[in-house]
Amino acid sequence: MTAMDWQAFALSLRLATVTTAILLAIAVPLASLIVLGRGRWLAAVEALATLPMVLPPTVLGFFLLVLLGPRTAFGRGISAVLGHPLAFSFDGLVVGSVIYSLPFAVQPLVAGFSSVDTALVDAARLLGAGPVRLVSSVLIPLARRSVLAAIVLSFLHTVGEFGVVLMLGGDIPGATRTLSIVLYDQVESFDYTAAGHTALLLLGLSVLALALIYSKTRNRGAVDRA
Amino acid sequence: MSKQFFTAVFPLLFLAPLCAQEPLRVAAAADLEPVLPSILVQFEKNTGIHAEATFQSSATLTTQIQNGAPFDVFLSADLGFPKRLIDAGFADAADSGGSNTPITYARGTLVLWARKDSSLPKPSLDLLRDPRLKRLAIANPDRAPYGRAAVAALNGLKLYDTLKPNLVTAENIAQAAQFVDTANADAGLISLTSALTPRLSADGSYFIIPRDLYPPIEQGAVIVSNTKQRDAAHKLLDFLLSPAIQAELAKSGLTPVK
Repeated sequence: MTAMDWQAFALSLRLATVTTAILLAIAVPLASLIVLGRGRWLAAVEALATLPMVLPPTVLGFFLLVLLGPRTAFGRGISAVLGHPLAFSFDGLVVGSVIYSLPFAVQPLVAGFSSVDTALVDAARLLGAGPVRLVSSVLIPLARRSVLAAIVLSFLHTVGEFGVVLMLGGDIPGATRTLSIVLYDQVESFDYTAAGHTALLLLGLSVLALALIYSKTRNRGAVDRA
Repeated sequence: MSKQFFTAVFPLLFLAPLCAQEPLRVAAAADLEPVLPSILVQFEKNTGIHAEATFQSSATLTTQIQNGAPFDVFLSADLGFPKRLIDAGFADAADSGGSNTPITYARGTLVLWARKDSSLPKPSLDLLRDPRLKRLAIANPDRAPYGRAAVAALNGLKLYDTLKPNLVTAENIAQAAQFVDTANADAGLISLTSALTPRLSADGSYFIIPRDLYPPIEQGAVIVSNTKQRDAAHKLLDFLLSPAIQAELAKSGLTPVK
């Protein structure tokens, strides 16, 4: 394992953690709105939140490069606030990853929240629970596994993200060269031995994270049932 | 109606490929994307052979051919990748002499390209020395021939160490050009073929990097050993080396070899 690999490993981990945290903050309210709200426009919201899955990642990356670049007012505004342009920076990758992985956070939450018994939701409302209380005390606890799925999928999808990072990142060590980019570079340079090691690291990390999370929820489930 | 429609049309989706004559499949380096399609149209007019091109980085195409991709001809952006295929037994040099070197069909030209509306001076060697140049896009020097040439040129100018923190690396020259065209990078070292495309020549201007600053970007062609269309493949290579097509390559930003 080279120093470069570890640097990329740490970067991927940081990117996935930050992205997952931001995604939860966005996706929980969004999914609650989709499930609890009324109105046809919510179908459009759900459709929009699913759309990033359709675009080829490099194309999505290209659109983001245009949107976040200095040729749009939006891009100029953001770089004025941050003090640096978003493209080719870690912050830029976070923005890209949040958009790219949004469906993987929203979809499980919508499915989970929808499967909560409407009688319980109505009862909570009758007892005077506002929307925040309803989501935090009823929907989230009852759809625990879906929240977990949203976290796991967002995290892993970001770790494995490639096309958007390739396009938006510019392959800068320590800032935008993630583990999946290193892996791709190794394969493209015919360095299959190094690629094998990096892939093992990536897979090992994922298995470990998944096992940890699933073991925790299994335990909690057992306690609940007891 | 829809059910009948699907029962009628669905099988056709699978039959259609069987009816068509297999085209000559050309694996072509990304820098040929602006050039090759019109050449293949002329090739079909002259010979009646329909050829289809797939554009990728030379490295990706090499890996694909090593793993059995059904290509007939490989037009690389350098000599190293096709040579690697010959050495590993996946491709033939295609010339009668039995040598193991690919046929050089063109030479590439490295240019410095920037948008016309950039706040920095027009592209020149001085632009590379300008402290306001914050981001310079290059193709990946580990595998993209133009990326390798870009690093060689920067080294030749003794600017590589100074500019290293400012380099943004793209997967290939097309992407390096996109970094600059979207104004996310100030300038880029790309191929003349890209700089001469309608889009980029409308948006920006270029400066030809002096040729003594980098080793020649010799573009080599080989015939994939598994091909079932060896004659057609030979015809395409002869066509590429014909005077008319060589002249056309020159217009598109490649230096003819004949």
